[in-house]
Amino acid sequence: MRTEADPRLMPADWDCVPRGRSVPRRMAPMLLASVIASAWYFGWLLSPARVGDPLLYGLLLAAEAFNLTQALGFWWTCVGARSRPARSSLPCMPSVDVLVPVYDEPSEIVEATLAAAVGLRGAHVSAWLLDDGDSDEMRALAERLGAGYIAREQHDGAKAGNINCALAYTSGEFVAIFDSDHVADPAFLEHTLGHFGDERVAFVQTPQYYANHRQGGVAAASWAQQALFFGPIARGKDARGAMFCCGTNVVFRRTALSSVGGFPTNSLTEDFELSISLHERGWRSAYVDRVLAHGVGPEDMASYVSQQMRWARGCLSAIPRVLRARLPLRLRVQYLLSTMYFLSGWTLLIYMALPAVRIITGAQPLAVASASQFLMHFAPYYALALGSVAVAGAGSYTFAAFSLGAACFWVQVLAGLRTLLRRPARFVVTAKQGGGSWQPLAVWPALAVCAAMLSVSLYGLDSRPGAGTLNSIAFATLHATVLGSGAAAALRPRLRRPPALPRRTAAA
Amino acid sequence: MSAGASDTLLAGARARPALREQRRRLAIEQIGVLGGQVAAGIGNLAFSLVMARLLAPGSFAALASFGALYLLLNMPMTSLTAAASLHPALDAKWRRVALLAGVGAALLGVALAGPLSSLLALSPALIAMLALAAPGAGPLALARGRLFAARRHRTLIASLLIEPAGRLALGLILVPSIGAGGGAAAIVLAGYLSLLTARREGRVHAGGELGAVASSGAGVAVAFLLLAVIQNQDVVLANAVLGRGAAGEFAVVSTLGGITAFTTMTVPMVLLARIRESHGQALGVALWVAAGLGAAIVCVFATAPQFFTEMLFGSRYEPAGSIAGAYLLAMALLGVTRVLAAQLAARRSRSLVAGLLLLPAALQAWLIADAAGSPGAVVGATLAGSALATLGTGGAVALEAPWARALYARAVGALTSRTALALVGTAALALGLRLLVTRGLWIDEATSVSQAQMSFHGMIENLRTSDVHPPLYFALLWLDVHAFGDGELAVRLPSILAGLALIPVVYLAAKDIYDRKAGLMAALLVAIAPQTVWYSQEARMYALFMLFSVLAVWAQVRVLRRGEPRDWVLYGLAAAALIWNQYFGVLVIGAGQIAFAVEMWRRPGPQRRALAIGWALTAAGLLLLIAPLIPYTYHQFVVNQASGRGFGGTPSQAGEAVAREGHPGVYAFLANVVWSIWGYHSNATMVSLVALWPLTMLFSLFLLGRRFGRASWLVALCALLPMAMLFLLGQEKSDLFDMRYFIGAVPLCMLLAARGLTASRLRPVLALLLAASLLYGLYDQQLNSSNPRRYDFRGAVHVIQRSLRRGDVVLYSPSYLSEVIRYYGPHLRMRSLGAGTAAKGAPLTRGAPAVFVVASYFEQRSIAEATRRELSVLERRRRLVRTLKLSNVHVWELR
Repeated sequence: MRTEADPRLMPADWDCVPRGRSVPRRMAPMLLASVIASAWYFGWLLSPARVGDPLLYGLLLAAEAFNLTQALGFWWTCVGARSRPARSSLPCMPSVDVLVPVYDEPSEIVEATLAAAVGLRGAHVSAWLLDDGDSDEMRALAERLGAGYIAREQHDGAKAGNINCALAYTSGEFVAIFDSDHVADPAFLEHTLGHFGDERVAFVQTPQYYANHRQGGVAAASWAQQALFFGPIARGKDARGAMFCCGTNVVFRRTALSSVGGFPTNSLTEDFELSISLHERGWRSAYVDRVLAHGVGPEDMASYVSQQMRWARGCLSAIPRVLRARLPLRLRVQYLLSTMYFLSGWTLLIYMALPAVRIITGAQPLAVASASQFLMHFAPYYALALGSVAVAGAGSYTFAAFSLGAACFWVQVLAGLRTLLRRPARFVVTAKQGGGSWQPLAVWPALAVCAAMLSVSLYGLDSRPGAGTLNSIAFATLHATVLGSGAAAALRPRLRRPPALPRRTAAA
Repeated sequence: MSAGASDTLLAGARARPALREQRRRLAIEQIGVLGGQVAAGIGNLAFSLVMARLLAPGSFAALASFGALYLLLNMPMTSLTAAASLHPALDAKWRRVALLAGVGAALLGVALAGPLSSLLALSPALIAMLALAAPGAGPLALARGRLFAARRHRTLIASLLIEPAGRLALGLILVPSIGAGGGAAAIVLAGYLSLLTARREGRVHAGGELGAVASSGAGVAVAFLLLAVIQNQDVVLANAVLGRGAAGEFAVVSTLGGITAFTTMTVPMVLLARIRESHGQALGVALWVAAGLGAAIVCVFATAPQFFTEMLFGSRYEPAGSIAGAYLLAMALLGVTRVLAAQLAARRSRSLVAGLLLLPAALQAWLIADAAGSPGAVVGATLAGSALATLGTGGAVALEAPWARALYARAVGALTSRTALALVGTAALALGLRLLVTRGLWIDEATSVSQAQMSFHGMIENLRTSDVHPPLYFALLWLDVHAFGDGELAVRLPSILAGLALIPVVYLAAKDIYDRKAGLMAALLVAIAPQTVWYSQEARMYALFMLFSVLAVWAQVRVLRRGEPRDWVLYGLAAAALIWNQYFGVLVIGAGQIAFAVEMWRRPGPQRRALAIGWALTAAGLLLLIAPLIPYTYHQFVVNQASGRGFGGTPSQAGEAVAREGHPGVYAFLANVVWSIWGYHSNATMVSLVALWPLTMLFSLFLLGRRFGRASWLVALCALLPMAMLFLLGQEKSDLFDMRYFIGAVPLCMLLAARGLTASRLRPVLALLLAASLLYGLYDQQLNSSNPRRYDFRGAVHVIQRSLRRGDVVLYSPSYLSEVIRYYGPHLRMRSLGAGTAAKGAPLTRGAPAVFVVASYFEQRSIAEATRRELSVLERRRRLVRTLKLSNVHVWELR
């Protein structure tokens, strides 16, 4: 028998802490320059003399203010990024229940995950397969690998409900949770349990590494987004005591979980809300910036859109919860920054609308004859903002990541509307294997806006444009290119290469 | 170690002292004979000096011309000396023939004295005198050759010394009574005295096949014959093509050059006598002696050319000092060439040597005939001929060395590769684009040309007192103008060559820094980039600026990667050349220093120390190299500040609508960025292009996540920092923010673009897009008459010349158009349309049938208003016949 190489079993090619680089040391002068540039830009922008069309000006100002808030939050978070010192294991060998919740995932994906869970070192490990799909194949797999098998009669509360159910059946001092596609490093517990030496630590989170990012496309772009989060942002959040649980590759202290009644089941992002609850009760969180589990990210656009929609809905609906939470201001701001990130799509919508309105109606947000001045004030702000992302991410954040995020702006807009309208949402498991690359329907709103941008540009070009219109056409082209690049992943011919994950094939 | 190997090593160790001893003996032998020759040379110089003081310039020029013809007569005979030095048996074999040929030539010379007199601008008596010298010349040369071969050096030296002694003694007697003819007679008679001395020695035995001897001897003779032509034809031709005063000046230069030539004359002869037994040692020694002596003479003279010239020839010939240095260099090169030619002729085929020397001789003659005008041009022609001869023979000799043969084989292999073919094709494309010049000179170029037309000293003084640039480019332009004249193509030649050299340099740099594909892509981009083409066509220093910038940055990358001594040397030389060429080169070097500082900070101890030592030594060397520039620059600064012009101020450039808003703004910055990549375009186009700035945001987003090596950071730093610095300086002094002053960024950006393209998955598409956009930019820049940097002064003057009648006057505005108008219309009656010129009814325009007004720089309001004011005054008295608007130049015709 021969199997294709499973990318999750290959060594990671990413370091949370860039080699030879100190992000805070590089970020500090950048932060200073960025703050000055922001003041320079907004000081100019806020002058009444800049007001062109009042409505458009207001929209632009709102978008810029939102982005500035996000940028300031990013800088504030990253400038404090640091590595948590390694801690030796606990003096006595603790008992750990390792939970792997599954729901109709292919057994070849789960097999490696469960095998790795069973083989964890550094504790008395009991691995459990939490099967919400009631699959005999999964039961057999658990038996074969020496893991426990738990299936519920009532499948309520999605993943959170599944875990809560398992918590009732198990009794380990600590609980580790891995999604069905995350293969843990045997030393996972050795690197994480030591941090529970501090009795106030409720959970230790580790990065959610996408081992399939090498295959390019959506997996690579979404991994680049993840890398920025699990690199400087997560390290910065940890330094500020605000790291939240990401649902997988995490170890909980059972007493902490019990203190808040387990995972909340009324949320799409149960891990996020759980973190708020724990922090409210005075528990602390820790982040180990070391790849200790290898998973897979979404391989196609449909999976990515589904994941983003779930995250956006979950985080946006958590905003009132954050606002109500009894948290120190520092933590509250950190949570707000994380949740409000999912409003970015609205700003992109405004940025795209402005040139279109300018080309069609001639109305523009800023007063005429300030183009050079605008550039003089905007360029340093923009360059430093972009530069700080590049520096903080140490090159991990790519154009593909940016354009993929931009192409899903509509997901955030839609999620925002649904949250506002209190439309019900349901938990959808992110697909672990790509269904193919030809998925125009998954990005049709982005394609429609892209076409609109191009049409508006052509319309503008047709009307013997002056410099102002040309400027708007250039903006429209910029947006169309970014949207098109992001959506292109959904427009590739169907996959011909072998899938990223193993499939059994005939013997050679 | 094996016994055989140790024996070899021992033999090598024993051989080294023997070789040293052999070299020492050869050197003593060379220097001994050379001492005699120098003494003879001093005697001849003394004879010339005495004659220069005794005779009037015209007569001295005639005697110098006679002396040169006498030399020309004897120079072919020097070829017999060379042949006999190699094979002494040829003395006996050829003596009778030489004598008979000499007698025949004498009879012919006497018979044709009349026609030759008018042809050579010499009196018939001098021609007849020259003819009388002919019978003795061949036998004397053969006798001396025999003495060289037999190493009878005492007799040889006596024969050398008797000649100047005889000249002086007889000259002092004859010249006061007979004039130039007396001097000529003294020269001829002294030659016969020398012959008698040389023949005093008895027969010398020599072996070898006489047929083969004659054959290789003839090869040597031909080589030395051609060398004699290169050395002497200039003075003969100069006498014919220059006016009497200029011919006298060149005669002085020629006499000074003769010192160098004469001094090294014996070196190849001693070499030829040793060539069969020395296994290459004699060649090395001969080359060292010839080159060392030549260099010493040139260096000593260069310290105070005017002083030496005045001291030797009197104050009336002092101006000749400014061009004599170059001529001495030419003669020093000929001294080296003689050694090389002797080696080649004795060992290789006659046709090769003849070909290698015939070409420079022809080039020199053509240049002298073509550049009839100044003694400087004749000097330039001789320098070009000599340099070509040295390069040709040197290359041929070098090819005999084993390493050279291996290198040659490698080069042939490399040149026939696909890469080489692609590179040659790119270079051919680049040359074609650079030769397709679509514009005339503008004022800066015309100013450079007028400066280069001065004497060298005059030009340097002019630069020092009224210009703002360092002198390197102007020195090259000076050589170029004096060698090839001041035609449009000629004055653009240094820039065209620098622009062409940029192609292989960029290729090698990109190949070294990145890889071969990036090298080829960078070469292609640089070949077609509008700005590299534009400035490779402009008779200014900016093509060299680009070339030296790439060399300096490339060398710095090598220094940081390997840090070998030769990398440091290349860096120091390129940096010095950059600063000597354009002061703003300092910004490129300054950006590089930041990279050095960062590297020193990053590196661990030992590596840091090595880098710091290399840097300190190179910085010291660089300071030494630019030290001579400091007083020059300071003087320029003081003069410019005192005159109120301000240092760095130049006539402003067009394209202000986009590029300037009082002080340069962000749009001006973007306009310069667009210019640097896509070239100059009309203001309307620039306004539209600059409005597309959001696309740079797209470009910046594309760069996200791309990793840049340290070399790329260095290249980017050296490209962008000068631009940023000048932008900031421009806030204080807006003229400083001009694309030309950071033109080094253009090839560096192309280098980065090439890297980006070749590393991209979309390589074919992106390369095609960029190449297409560059070609379109080039097309629009070169052919669109709305290009704000295009000034059609040539067209304006041609239009005027077509309608010009006797007495017509040309007025120009602003005043600094004078040089460019004069360049295109040197014979026009012209003057500046200064304030009140028209109102005063200036005498120049009074009575003129027509007045033409040429004006430019109307984007400067003060100029436009002043010109219109003066025009309106003119129009009150005259009728406006027509108005013409050419590219940035206006012409009015009033009658």
